[in-house]
Amino acid sequence: MTVVKEAISALVAILVFPGLAFMVISALAFEWLDRVMIARLQGRVGPPWYQPVADLIKLLAKEDILPTGANEAVAAVLPVISLASVLTAALYVPVAGYGVTSFEGDLIVVLFLLSLPALAYFLAGWVSVGVYSMVGGSRSLLQYFSYEVPFLMALATPAIVADSWRIEIIVTRQPTWGVFTMPLGFALAVVGLIGKLKRDPFDIPKASSEVVAGPLTEYSGRKLALWHLTVDVQTVVGILLLVNLFLGGHTSTFVPVAAWISPWLFAGKALLILVLLAAASVLYARLRIDQLANLGWRVLAPLALAQIVVALWMVS
Amino acid sequence: MSTRQAARTGGNGLPQEAIVAALRQALGDAVGEARAVPVDEMWIPIAPEVLRDAVEELQRCGVRHLSTISGLDDDEGIVLLYHFWRGHGLTLSLRLPYEAASVPTLIDLIPGAAFYEREVAEMLGVTFGGHEDIKPLLLPEDWDAGPPLRHDDADALPPSREDG
Amino acid sequence: MDRMTIPIGPQHPLLKEPMSFTVTVEGEQVLASTMRMGYVHRGIEKLAESRNYRQVVHLVERICGICSHVHTTTFCDAVETLLGLEVPPRAWYIRALLCELERIHSHLLWLGVLAKNVGYDTVFMYSWRDREIVLDMMEELSGGRVSHAVNIIGGVRVDLDVEQARSMLERLPLLEEKVDGALHLVETERTLRARTQGVGYLSPEQIRAYCVVGPVARASGVDVDMRRDAPCAPYDELGVDVQMHTAGDVWARAVVRVRETRESLRLCRLILENLPAGATEVRAPRRVPAGEAVTRWEAPRGEVLYYVRSDGSDTPSRLKVRTPTLTTLITLPDQLRGVALADVTVVLSGVDLCIACADR
Repeated sequence: MTVVKEAISALVAILVFPGLAFMVISALAFEWLDRVMIARLQGRVGPPWYQPVADLIKLLAKEDILPTGANEAVAAVLPVISLASVLTAALYVPVAGYGVTSFEGDLIVVLFLLSLPALAYFLAGWVSVGVYSMVGGSRSLLQYFSYEVPFLMALATPAIVADSWRIEIIVTRQPTWGVFTMPLGFALAVVGLIGKLKRDPFDIPKASSEVVAGPLTEYSGRKLALWHLTVDVQTVVGILLLVNLFLGGHTSTFVPVAAWISPWLFAGKALLILVLLAAASVLYARLRIDQLANLGWRVLAPLALAQIVVALWMVS
Repeated sequence: MSTRQAARTGGNGLPQEAIVAALRQALGDAVGEARAVPVDEMWIPIAPEVLRDAVEELQRCGVRHLSTISGLDDDEGIVLLYHFWRGHGLTLSLRLPYEAASVPTLIDLIPGAAFYEREVAEMLGVTFGGHEDIKPLLLPEDWDAGPPLRHDDADALPPSREDG
Repeated sequence: MDRMTIPIGPQHPLLKEPMSFTVTVEGEQVLASTMRMGYVHRGIEKLAESRNYRQVVHLVERICGICSHVHTTTFCDAVETLLGLEVPPRAWYIRALLCELERIHSHLLWLGVLAKNVGYDTVFMYSWRDREIVLDMMEELSGGRVSHAVNIIGGVRVDLDVEQARSMLERLPLLEEKVDGALHLVETERTLRARTQGVGYLSPEQIRAYCVVGPVARASGVDVDMRRDAPCAPYDELGVDVQMHTAGDVWARAVVRVRETRESLRLCRLILENLPAGATEVRAPRRVPAGEAVTRWEAPRGEVLYYVRSDGSDTPSRLKVRTPTLTTLITLPDQLRGVALADVTVVLSGVDLCIACADR
């Protein structure tokens, strides 16, 4: 009987909360919030709440074609792999303390799974055979190498300080939120997240005025819908990861709070990071790829290294 | 001369008469009678053969800005107008016969002349000797109806409506 | 990495009008470029030969959307000269007012386009929102936001009463504040400068060799401005402070254009405060005596030249238009050689292409 109960609760966790359904709904909600915030900062109004849903439905209904010479099979599989990997990563990221599952080392698994979409993105450009796609694809790889190393190092810092590579443990072992003890790491993680999500000012691979839409230029219909959903889910997972590692997840610091506030606290922190991402989108012009590579290797990576050294010193 | 022309007091170039004199001294009879054209222009007819020498002389006088090359068909031949500017307008005008509408190019002296020569070439059928690879500028590659601005082209435009 | 040929245009998010560029790149570096224009060639000069002068005024207005008023002003100037008409000063002031408003409009629009093309959507949204103030003023003056049809041969067909002039003057301080903000942004914002400085450099010698005009020339230190060099009313009375820079790159062009916008606001204020009384037009006969006239004016992009030849009838026998964008297009192969692919966007934005003007 308990086996059935466990099976059902596992299924609910995977499919409903905090799994598939919750992730997809949050993804669309976060996309809407992001678009509204950016719009208001730019003096516009922004779309209504159902816009991301409408966009998704519209895309699903569109014709799905690729140029002659494109590898249809690979092109169809890549968005599915990307979406699957970010959804799987979501399994290990606790939402307000509820994770589907967890084990020692799951942080590394999450980081690996979150990197898969970057490679799939590049391949998507490669197999869809178009000049803009190829240029965008090669840019996306170059960008990947520029932000990923500082990002990984920055995210390793809370693990070093908490002496565990299990996200659940890292959350609970933070007496003071990581953002206060490792502010540099937090800043680098946010910058790295912007690069990973290919948001302004790091949307170089899909710079519309240069390469039309980058690797996804030739995609349409269902495939494009899945790619958009992947980006949205990746945004949520990335934000939740940062909340857990640097902002203490659902715990509070300095001031104890009642248990029922925790989920709202968690949501508030996630929104805070979304605000940071939206503000970064609005404030800067797009960098050139060589300027980003410069920034990544000459500024971010050394800073991340310094942060790791500091973390190691803090632990000893 | 209208009040407008009199109001043109600005300008920072050599007086136009001095330039005409310099041209006449350099090229002699190839330079015709200059006349004033509104607004603030001096037009100097020259023989087509001395075009490059005239332009070199103008450059020596400090007149280097070529505004454009106009071409027109005045039913007696093709007239080319090289509009220069330095404080005041200065135009070299030359006349070419229909059958031998050819002048030397200026693009080595004035690189900015390239587009203007291409446009005159395609619109009026003038050849610019020395301007290699003169491609159409505005007309499509498959244009086959002859130079549009020559008056001898058969396809006339529909008449405009009389409510102007 | 192999060489790739990337087409930019005729349809591309970067271009607002159809024009075809192809750049050959190796990795991210541009090796060579070609361009093809003529996609919006409508044969304006040929059409003008079969329309009477009043109709040609409407025709040349449609050469361009952004500098339409300058085209009609220059053309009317030429025809009025041939007719020997004395256009009243009030008409010239109103023409200049609209010219300066158009310049402000064009530069604000361009700033937004440059920002959008370097991924700076915020500045795009802000500058186009501020442009709305200018469009409202133009609409109150002429009835149209972008296409005004204000000029007629012999003057202008609209007039400003005291109320309208005051209402426009009241809106100028807000615009001045916004443009000052834009200038501060262009001069100091780091990411914008990182993208535009050092890109698309043209030396003064290149400017003079290619006979470039307009803000592109002024940004490289070459002092040309038809409002000062060939002044007519009211510029000769108002005096124009020509804005220059020496850096010669896209950033310098941005600075020059925003400073020119500020200068144009000052000129608008002077015009509105000093409108001479009197008529706004004189009667113009239909037939224009035989003759020729060449007029030049300062469009937002530089010197525009009109050559009108009349044979004594009511139809021009030749109309020649030379727009400033032609002079900047010819510098593009030089500017694009050796730049990064991302800089192609910046270079093309920096020259402020008005392809409809160039193609006519």
